[in-house]
Amino acid sequence: MNALTGLRAVYFKEILTYFRSPIAYFVIAVFLLGTGFFFTYNIFLSGVGTMDQTFQNMGILTIVLVPVLTMRLFSGEYTGRTMELLVTLPLQNWQIVLGKYFGAVSMLFMMTATSCINLIPLYLYGNPQTPNILAGYIGFLLLGMSCIAIGQLFSALTENQIVAALITIPVLLMFWFVGHLQSLQSSILLRDLFSHMSFALHYSDFIQGLLRSEAIIFFLGVSAIALTINSSYLQWRR
Amino acid sequence: MIQLEHVTKRYGSKTIIHDISFDVKKGEIVGFLGPNGAGKTTTMRMIAGFTTASTGSVRVAGYDMATENNEAAKKIGYLPEQPPLYDVLDVSSYLRFVARAKGINSARIASELDRVMQACRLETVTTKEIYKLSKGFRQRVGLAQALLGDPDVLLLDEPTAGLDPGQIQETREVIRNVGKEHAVLLSTHILPEVTLICQRIAIINHGRILAVGSPQSLQRAAEETSSVVAEASGEENKIHHALNGVDGITSISIKPLAARPGMLGIECQVNADEHIEARIARAIIQSGELHKLERRQPTLENIFLRYIGHTGTDTSITEPVGVAS
Repeated sequence: MNALTGLRAVYFKEILTYFRSPIAYFVIAVFLLGTGFFFTYNIFLSGVGTMDQTFQNMGILTIVLVPVLTMRLFSGEYTGRTMELLVTLPLQNWQIVLGKYFGAVSMLFMMTATSCINLIPLYLYGNPQTPNILAGYIGFLLLGMSCIAIGQLFSALTENQIVAALITIPVLLMFWFVGHLQSLQSSILLRDLFSHMSFALHYSDFIQGLLRSEAIIFFLGVSAIALTINSSYLQWRR
Repeated sequence: MIQLEHVTKRYGSKTIIHDISFDVKKGEIVGFLGPNGAGKTTTMRMIAGFTTASTGSVRVAGYDMATENNEAAKKIGYLPEQPPLYDVLDVSSYLRFVARAKGINSARIASELDRVMQACRLETVTTKEIYKLSKGFRQRVGLAQALLGDPDVLLLDEPTAGLDPGQIQETREVIRNVGKEHAVLLSTHILPEVTLICQRIAIINHGRILAVGSPQSLQRAAEETSSVVAEASGEENKIHHALNGVDGITSISIKPLAARPGMLGIECQVNADEHIEARIARAIIQSGELHKLERRQPTLENIFLRYIGHTGTDTSITEPVGVAS
């Protein structure tokens, strides 16, 4: 059997499940309302023709919304007793983990794509810097992917969806704000550590229009680590 | 196809399954009979690969479930105690997901879905969301899922739970057909179910297999434990005396019925004799008035008590294969 067949099966099931339940519509609606508000506020009310501030706000919004997307990924399987099916089907753990991950990532891409509607007035009436905006969107997607991987991991650790979301949000916020602790530290080692761990600092590279390999590797690495732990945890649970 | 050798399952310091061994061959339907909490589901889960055995080996279709469970999973159709359904999906999307996950060739999926939906009588609900289905339909969607891909080994944990009598009949027919070419292990706590469709029966209680035998030996054991219950009026001593002279009664108890004054409740433990009711009736008529007489259907508890009492000593009712202490 082709290794991708099982992954695709899980992936399509996840996508279908998102759209058959109110979660996807709710998350997309809140995200659009939020970005629409921030965009209008930042650009039209303050009269600054860049997306910098909007991207910052989108980052925080994602951190709060992603746990809503990921909370059911495994917790829902535990409470619905469907984990027994997933585990006994001829599926490898990594196929289950990645199928679910790509399902949630697709939702993130969809959310992001719909928010591009905000760019229309910017291009019609302004003089935007396309490379900056592109880099910002790439950074936003990478940030969202890391958040999903972390949220999915916490969903696997608890049977309760609400608990999964309530743990994920503070953990993500910690990763976001840990960079701000820098100024409180005198130790160079800690300052370095905090800045390397910070979602916000790495994300701001992208917002400034920089595609730094360190930042890209950081976000992909966070995803990879969380997904690996997730997969090993499933193995251990057996 | 299924082989368990000295399998033990522990959760922490608690031992759920004690050293059980048995096997299921191709073309055989084996019933797993035991009261709730006897260890049926745990054993099923170990065979399905959902949990692993603490010690001992579980082999399915030649694969060791401890190390090669992914290979074995392709050969197994498993219906857990609670059908594992995604409530928001409709029946055909759900079955399509399972078919894909089982690696069924995409060209064959449509015909496979038709086949299992027909076998489980799901044609009328294919586009319905699963959360809208009744318990009987949910159970049958679970069974359909297990049948997908025509697996060599079918594990069914209480497949007829929640079905009405007509559906039970249909489900048994499906299982019987599958059992002709495959190895089927089904668990239940309903006695007639196993005697009707299984070729062999394993009785389990408190995590131990008490006996492995044929439905006939189980039936025999059941009859040996059966009793005849009667209501009569008359003199207690006279009736007792008359019953004492009847062959085949092992014990007699006569008590006045509190609910019906003047009436005596009679309970006789009897051995396996087909004409015993007639002889008891005659004895009562000769010594008093008979109002009601019936043979008590053997209950699972009776059979368990019998097996628990006789394990290891009475080999006449248990076949020598796989008798574990």
